[in-house]
Amino acid sequence: MNRRTFLKQGTALSGGLVLSGCLGRLGFETQSAWRDPPLVEDRPDAVYYPAIIEGMGMYGTTTAGDLGFALMHSFPHRFWNLTGSRKTKVIVQSDDSVHLMASVWDTETETILPVDVSVEISNSDGRVSSTNLWPMISPNMGFHYGDNIALPGEGKYDVTLQVGPLQTARTSPFDGRFTEGQAATMQFTFDTAETYNLEIRRLGEKAGIRGTVDLMEMEMIPEPVVPTKSELPGRLLHEGKSGDATILVALVDGDHRFSDSDGPFLIVSPRTPYNRVMLPRMALSATLNRGGDAIAQGTLQASLDPDLGSFYGMGLDELETDDTVRITVETPPQLARHDGYETAFLDMEPIEFTVE
Amino acid sequence: MTDERGVPRREFLKSAVAIGGAAAFSACLGREEVDVPTGPDDLSSYPQRQHAWNEVLPRDDHGNVIAPSHRLLLYLNYRRDGQPNEDDRDQVETALRGIEHAYERSGIGLLLTVSYSPAYFDRFDESLSEGVDLPDPEALAPFEDPEFDTPDAVVHLASNTAQVVLGAEEALKGNKSTLNGVDQPDVALTDVFSLTDRRTGFIGDGLPAKNAGDAESVPADKVPDDAPLFMGFKSGFKKNQASEDRVTIQSGPFADGTTQHISKLQLNLNQWYNQDDRWQREAKMFCPYHAENDVIEGAGDNLGNSSKIDDCKPTDETAREMGVVGHSQKSARARDDEDSPLILRRDFDSTDGGTASLHFLALQRRITDFVDTREAMNGTDVTEQSAVGQRNNNGILQYIRSERRGNFLVPPRSLRALPPAQPARDAQEVTHESS
Ligand code: HEM
Repeated sequence: MNRRTFLKQGTALSGGLVLSGCLGRLGFETQSAWRDPPLVEDRPDAVYYPAIIEGMGMYGTTTAGDLGFALMHSFPHRFWNLTGSRKTKVIVQSDDSVHLMASVWDTETETILPVDVSVEISNSDGRVSSTNLWPMISPNMGFHYGDNIALPGEGKYDVTLQVGPLQTARTSPFDGRFTEGQAATMQFTFDTAETYNLEIRRLGEKAGIRGTVDLMEMEMIPEPVVPTKSELPGRLLHEGKSGDATILVALVDGDHRFSDSDGPFLIVSPRTPYNRVMLPRMALSATLNRGGDAIAQGTLQASLDPDLGSFYGMGLDELETDDTVRITVETPPQLARHDGYETAFLDMEPIEFTVE
Repeated sequence: MTDERGVPRREFLKSAVAIGGAAAFSACLGREEVDVPTGPDDLSSYPQRQHAWNEVLPRDDHGNVIAPSHRLLLYLNYRRDGQPNEDDRDQVETALRGIEHAYERSGIGLLLTVSYSPAYFDRFDESLSEGVDLPDPEALAPFEDPEFDTPDAVVHLASNTAQVVLGAEEALKGNKSTLNGVDQPDVALTDVFSLTDRRTGFIGDGLPAKNAGDAESVPADKVPDDAPLFMGFKSGFKKNQASEDRVTIQSGPFADGTTQHISKLQLNLNQWYNQDDRWQREAKMFCPYHAENDVIEGAGDNLGNSSKIDDCKPTDETAREMGVVGHSQKSARARDDEDSPLILRRDFDSTDGGTASLHFLALQRRITDFVDTREAMNGTDVTEQSAVGQRNNNGILQYIRSERRGNFLVPPRSLRALPPAQPARDAQEVTHESS
């Protein structure tokens, strides 16, 4: 602890509970579980049940313009930070107080937006912390933004959540939408009795087995999931697997909203197994072969659609029976991972199929 | 050696500039055992380019200019409404000459510039001389929301000697009758201007680690002991900086001037050091090639006189194949026809307000050059075509927040005291021959 933090905590003493002081008093047993949670041995290279599932509490939701914002909390988490296919284990630091989470969505269509969120936190003494949250994925929350944050103590905080414009492409119903940044302000009260007593579910025997828990039900926030197989538009061409992600490929023909140019449009919709959680932040490309010759090759554009959520697509001139389609994952989903997802969606093999 | 406040000697020197004031200055005098030569009586040989610092600064073994380590930015408002008068101009010039007579123009001595904002030039009926590109500051990324600095003027004081920066400040405030043994004029800069903000900082091997304790959220023992900047890498290689010529205004009454952008960037060193590993830091600061091939040792002194950015692949390629693009890799896309960077970076770290931050001070011929460079650094084009996020894996954007921005004109020396918006063509010859 440096001198300043020490002084600051000293001042906090007179006002209320000091964080380091309450560690010993409030929920100490649960805390030792999350400060350094057990990591399952022999984890599969796939989605698996972690040793524990961390509970989550809601600080609140608000809107700014046509965007919805939600702010949630939990105790500080271990997570895994990803760059390309390299991951770094991020351990809980001694001064981390809370794991702060945010989700952002379009209030008109209830579509979750993959737009990076930054937070600025202040209290009556002025600004206490600011950070750019990481895009993340966890078993019970699915896709969200989050980070472990150090707060000077318990009490009331003002927080500003800020997002920039959506940087991916979008389909025509979203034309002209999400082109500007937006900021929302909220208040929350950090109460260790509340946060540190959130439930910790120990998964016991299940830990390490392939599978995952259900997403938490959150009434106020749209689920970060993509449509089921039968809800996909057009003709389903293939259901593939890569790095334990499910990858659905569909073709829409005739009149459609997916591109300006005529011709069929290839939709690639990756999702987590079990829960259909969206997987934004991938780089995918496709190659079409006919009779052994490549007839088309290109990137699958990351895009957002009110019905499909995050998907990847590409306009084609034509696609015939017996053509083969090869989809290559150039970059796996660049999302920080909570336990249970850190071994999946990393080493992602291409998928290949013949059009029937 | 420990003083009465219990601050050990070395610790004291590094924070003295941040603390400031007469007490800090006199304490410095006793602790810093350097004899700083005085400046000449006749200042007429001083260059027209206020920003011509490189010729008098020391260089490292590779020929890179070593940035002066102690810095102070004084944000000033002109006390008078409307246009400045000649008396005030004389006072400003006299006050500035006072400190120039006291300390020689060098690394251990004093380097300074005086600059003026668009808000200052709004005082005049005429618009600013054409050929000077000095717009009001604006947000330079779609995801940032900075506050804008609109003081009339900013004085930048720099030295490798802490007491020089502090002494100069005290004299400009009229608190010293002699400075470094040299009599000071009766007039003070602060008679003409009021001080609205004081920003301090440091750059140089080891200084960030030594200052780490003054800021919250600098992870203990993580900033390398020898690093010149908080983020751990050397910056400002000769081949990756614009030359002073490149950033100098070429024609018109403000020829030999330059424009200056100063932003305050807050650093998230917790994420940088505790949540990323060395590979990620190298890939994000330079490019994935450097990380993959262990190109950088420590802070990167081994790189010589360039960041070896030519070895990096094109940004769109690394973005799609590796999911990450480097800060230097992206920024190097903003170059001119001769392959020169557009901006001359004279940035430095700070613990102002108890937070680790960086005062990003850059010089360029036109503010547009800065805007273009920042756009290259934003990499918005890259994010649209890859898995690279708006900030995540997008150079160092994840770790910096733009808090404040301001644009300024650094006029030629002859116009440094309250310049008119449309100086007479021959202004450079007629004003202040010598003193
Ligand atoms: C915390 C903030 C920053 C740090 C720590 C930082 C650090 C670095 C480093 C280590 C390099 C590579 C070494 C070198 O070329 O000198 C570099 C290059 C560069 N940076 Fe930054 N930088 C920061 C912010 C910025 C900002 C805000 C800009 C302005 C847009 C910028 C523009 C550049 C340019 C133009 C280059 C050289 C590119 C070329 O080779 O053409 N940097 N920076």
